[in-house]
Amino acid sequence: MSTHNENADKIILGDQEVLKSELLTLNMGPQHPATHGVLRVEIKTDSEIVVDAIPHLGYLHRCFEKHAENLDYRGVIPFVDRMDYLAAMSMEWGYALTVEKMLGTEVPKRAEYVRVLVAELQRIASHLVFFGTYGIDLGAFTVFLYCFEDREEILRLFEELSGARMLYNYIWIGGVWNDINDSQLNRVKAFCDRFEGELHKYHTLVGENKIFIGRTANVGIISEKMAFDFGATGPILRASGVKWDLRKNRPYSIYDKFDFDIPVGVGEKGTVGDCWDRYHVRVLEMFESIKIIRQVLDGIEEGPVMGKVPKIIKVPAGEIYMRTECPRGELGYHLISDGGKTPYRLKVKSSCFTHVSILPAIAPGLMIADMVASIGSIDIVLGEVDR
Amino acid sequence: MHSQIVDFLNKNVPGCNPVINAPVAVVGDQSITVAAVNILEVCRALRSSPEFAFNVLQVITGTDYPDRIELSYILASYSKNLELILKTNLPRGDKNNLSKINSVVSVWSAANFQERETYDMIGVDFVGHPDFRRILCPYDWDGHPLRKDYVVQEKYLDMVVNPPAKNNTDDQMFGKRLKEELGDPKRVSASWKDNTAGADAAEAKDGE
Repeated sequence: MSTHNENADKIILGDQEVLKSELLTLNMGPQHPATHGVLRVEIKTDSEIVVDAIPHLGYLHRCFEKHAENLDYRGVIPFVDRMDYLAAMSMEWGYALTVEKMLGTEVPKRAEYVRVLVAELQRIASHLVFFGTYGIDLGAFTVFLYCFEDREEILRLFEELSGARMLYNYIWIGGVWNDINDSQLNRVKAFCDRFEGELHKYHTLVGENKIFIGRTANVGIISEKMAFDFGATGPILRASGVKWDLRKNRPYSIYDKFDFDIPVGVGEKGTVGDCWDRYHVRVLEMFESIKIIRQVLDGIEEGPVMGKVPKIIKVPAGEIYMRTECPRGELGYHLISDGGKTPYRLKVKSSCFTHVSILPAIAPGLMIADMVASIGSIDIVLGEVDR
Repeated sequence: MHSQIVDFLNKNVPGCNPVINAPVAVVGDQSITVAAVNILEVCRALRSSPEFAFNVLQVITGTDYPDRIELSYILASYSKNLELILKTNLPRGDKNNLSKINSVVSVWSAANFQERETYDMIGVDFVGHPDFRRILCPYDWDGHPLRKDYVVQEKYLDMVVNPPAKNNTDDQMFGKRLKEELGDPKRVSASWKDNTAGADAAEAKDGE
C-alpha cells in the first residue's frame, strides 16, 4: 500500500521509498479489453503507481427498471436476460422465484431439477469466461481457447433447450419453457465426466504457473472487513475467507437436498482475499457445480415442467425482497406490487454494481498492470452494472 | 424478529417512531418504517447492535408515490442470518428543491454508490455524501427517470433524444402483420413443434 501526500517528495510503495513525480491522469476505457465491456476508469498515476481510480459508469444504461414498470410480469423476463448476459439463466431464475413466491405458485419437481441443472451449467459457463479472459488479461492466451471450447458445449445444449445461445427466456414463471430429454441428460453426464479432468489440467496450466502467481498473489487484497463494508457477495466475499453461500445458508428452491461444499480463500499463494484467491475460489466452485449436477442427474424425476399459472398474472399488493446466488454474487429483486398487471417498482440489487465500488478502495498503491489484474479478478459484467 | 427490532430502536434511538408495516396480503415481506430525521442514528444502532449485527447494506432504493417518496434500506446480517427492509418517507420535493436526508456512507461504504444511484434515479438529496454526483445518467442530465411523472428531455447537448427516425417500428409492424395474416397468433407463438396439432395443443402446452 502506498500513501500519497501532496507535499512530500517521496512516496512509499510496499517497503520501498520512491521519488514522487507529477500526477498523470489516464483514462482506462471506455473501450479497453481489460474492462470487459464499456467501463471508464479515470486513473491518476504517480509514474507507474496508481494514486486514485474513479469509475465512470452508465455507458450501457438502459433504465431496465423503468421498462419493467410498463411490462406485464411475463414480459420482464427477456429484459432480465440482458442484465448479466453471461449468466442469463441465473438472472431469470431469480426473477421467476420472486414472482412465484408472491403468487404462491407451486413449481413441479422436475422443473426444479431442470432449473438447478441449467443454473449450475450456467455457473460453469460463466466462470469459464472469467477463466479465459482473466488469462488474456494477464498475457496467457492459450487457456482462453480451451475454456471457450468447453463453454461452447454448454451453450449448444442451451441452444437446443431454449432456441438461443445467450439470452434464453427459458425459465418462466411457474416452471421452464421446454422439457429436457434423456439424450440431453446423457450429454450433460458425459460433459461432467470429461470436463472434471480437463479443469484439473487448466488449473495446473494457469493457476500453478509461476508467472501467473507472481501477477496475482498479494495483489488487490480485499479483507473480510472491507468485503462486508462494501457489501461484497459471491466469490469475492468467499475469497476473503467468509464461508457464506446463499445456497447453503438460506436455501431456496431445492438446494437443501444437495451435498456440496463452500470453497473459501485461504491465502494459499499469498494473502487471504488477493486476486489469486478469487481466481481459485471460482475454479473450486466449478468442481462443486459438477458435484451438484451429478446429484441432479441421479435425482431427476419424471413429470410436467410447467405449473399452474393464471393466464394474466396479477401479483397481490405487497412487497418482497428475494436474493439468489448467481455466478457473480448475490442478485436481489425488490418487487413492489399494487395488485395490477405490471410491477409498481422492480429494483434490482446487482452484485457487479456493488463490486465496482470496491475498485477505488483497492486501487491506491497498485501498479497500472496490477489494476488490470484487479479489475479482471472482480469479474464484472457491465450489462449488470448499468442495467 | 420485527417486534424485537422495534423494541430495540425505541430503547436506543428515541424519537425515531418505528412502525411495523405488515404485508398487505398474506404473502410478502414485513418492513419497519422509521422517521427520516433519525435514519443515521437508526442505521448506526442496527449495525453496532450485538443482537442483530446488520453488517451489510444490500441496497438503497426509492419508490415514487403520488404523495411521498419511500426510501427502502435493505440490510442483511451475515453473522445472524437476518434480513430487514427499513423504510422511511420523504416529501416528493421538486426539481430545484429536492428533499434532504442524511447520508449513511459513514456507516457502510456500500452506501456510496447506492445513494448516488438513488439520487440519479429518484431525486433525493443525501446530505453529507462525500462524492455526490449522478452515476448512471450523464452528469448534466435533466430530471430523475424513475419518478412516475418523468418526461424525457427533448434535447441533450443539442442532440435530439429519441428521434422518430431511430425508433424501431419493425417489431410492431411484425406483430400487426402476424395478427392480420394468421388471425390467431397463438397458433404459432407457443411452439413450432406443435404447430400441426392446432391451437388446442398449443394452449395445453402453455399450461394455463
